[in-house]
Amino acid sequence: MVAHPRAPARPHRLRSLREPRPVAVEADGEGRPVSVTLSGRRLRVVAVQDAWRIDDEWWRERPVSRVYFSVALEDGRVITVYSDLATAGWWRQDC
Amino acid sequence: MRTACVFIPHFAIAVELLDRPDGRPDGRGRPAVIGGGQGRGKAVLDCSPEAEAQGVRRGMPLRQALALCPKAVFLDPDPARYQDAFEAVLRALEGISPLVEAAELGHAYVGVDGLEGLHRDEMALGDALVQACLPDRQAVRLAHGQGRPAGSLLPSVGLGEGKFVAWAAAVTSAPGEACVVPAGRESAFLSPLDVSLLPCSPDTLRRLELLGLRTIGDLAALPLGAVQAQFGPEGRRLWELAHGLDREPLRPRRHEESASERLTFPEPTVSTGALLTAGRQLLSRLFRRPALRGRAVRQMRLRAALSDGRSWERTVTFREATADRDQMLYVLRCTLEAALPSRPVEEVELTLSGLTEETGKQEGLFAEKGRRLAQLEEALRQLKARFGQSPVYHVVEVEPWSRIPERRLALIDYDP
Repeated sequence: MVAHPRAPARPHRLRSLREPRPVAVEADGEGRPVSVTLSGRRLRVVAVQDAWRIDDEWWRERPVSRVYFSVALEDGRVITVYSDLATAGWWRQDC
Repeated sequence: MRTACVFIPHFAIAVELLDRPDGRPDGRGRPAVIGGGQGRGKAVLDCSPEAEAQGVRRGMPLRQALALCPKAVFLDPDPARYQDAFEAVLRALEGISPLVEAAELGHAYVGVDGLEGLHRDEMALGDALVQACLPDRQAVRLAHGQGRPAGSLLPSVGLGEGKFVAWAAAVTSAPGEACVVPAGRESAFLSPLDVSLLPCSPDTLRRLELLGLRTIGDLAALPLGAVQAQFGPEGRRLWELAHGLDREPLRPRRHEESASERLTFPEPTVSTGALLTAGRQLLSRLFRRPALRGRAVRQMRLRAALSDGRSWERTVTFREATADRDQMLYVLRCTLEAALPSRPVEEVELTLSGLTEETGKQEGLFAEKGRRLAQLEEALRQLKARFGQSPVYHVVEVEPWSRIPERRLALIDYDP
C-alpha cells in the first residue's frame, strides 16, 4: 500500500529535528521583531539580517503560514524566529 | 592461440586402477563409483564408464548411484593420491610447454604456440603430449603398438585454435590418440558434433534441443541475432564457440613457493587432540625454517595418510596472510572438528603456501572505521543496559525537500 503523499510526516519512533520552541518576541507596528527574550533576559534586536515567508500545507487542517526573521541580537548572537500567522504566536527555530 | 587439450576421462577412477594389473577395481569387472567421505556430503566424485552407462553421474547423491548401479564397487575418495597423480601429469606437460593450465582433475590445457620447430608437425606434438602423460613403462608399451595398458592414465589429446576447439577434439578422439584441427577448419570440425558438447547450462541445452538444434552446425547456421534474441549473452558465446571462436585466454598455473613438514604417529590415532598436537609441532618446525622466518602464509593444507592406505585432505585459505600460529591452530581445530578423518591417521603432512615477503600487516582502508563502529556499538549496548533504552539516535532524512525545517530531518532510536 502506498502511503498518502500528503499525510503528516510523523512516523512512529521518529522525533523531528529542529522543532520550533515558543519564544517571547516584541514586534513593531509592521510585525518586525525589535526584542527577543531568551532565558528571561530581554535582548534588543540590532539588525534583521533576513526575512522570508513560508506558506505551505494549505490543504491540511492546520496550514503553515510563517514569516521568518534572521535577527542579530545585542549580545552578538544570530537566531531565527518566526511569527506564526495561523496562531499569532512567535517561535524560535534552528534552520 | 594454438592450444592443446589433454583429457584423461574418469581420472580418479583411472588412478584407482593404476596399481591393479587387470584394470578392474575388484577383479570381476564390476563398475566402480568413488564418493562419500566425511564432511563432503555423500556425493559421487567420479565413476567408471560402466557405472556411467547405467546412469551414474558426478555430483549425484551416493544413495541414487547405489539405486542405479547396485552391483558397483563403492570406493572412498583418496584426494591426495589423485592430486599427486595429476600434479605428475602437469609437470610432464610442462616439460613440453611452459604454459599449462589445470582445468580440473585429468583435464589440462597446454599453450603450443612457438613449438613448431621442436616437433615434426602438430600430430607429432600431440603424440608427444600423450607420451608425456604416461609412466615410462606404459609409454614404451604404447609406442610399440601393444595397445592400451590396463590401468593407465591414457589421455586423449586435441589440438586446435582456442580452448573449446581443442577440448572438443580431445573428447571426440580415442584414448591415447591425438586429433589436430587445422587452422581455419574449426567450423567444419565442430559442425557434426553434438550440441551437448557446448559449455552451457542444462536449461539452455534443453531449450536448444527443443528448438531442434541437435548439432553444433545447426546452431552455427543460425544468424547471430536470432540466437542472441533467444539466449542473450550466453547465446552469443555459444554461437561464437560453434564457429570456433573462443576468446577465453589460457591461464597458465603459477608456481608458488610452499613448505611442508610431515609427522608419523607411533600408533594410528583418531584423537583430535593428538592431531592438533601434531599440527602445533609441524607449525613450529615450519616456522623455524630460515625460509619462513618473518613471513606469513595464505594457505594451509593438511593431509593425512589413513590406516587403510587412503588419504584425507583439507585446505584452508586465510582471509589475509598470517604468521599467527594460534590463529592457524584455531583454524586447524575448527577444520578437524567439522570433518575428522574417517579412519585412524598414521601420518600427517602440513603444507604452507602463498608465502608473503613480510609479516607486516596491511590494514584495510576501512578497517579502522569498522573497528570503531564495533567499539561504538559496544558502548551503546552498555548505555542501553544502564538506562533501559538507547540514548543515542540516528539522524534520518524524512522530507529533505520540504520548506518547513522541522519536516526535513528526524531522529530515530539507534539500537545496536
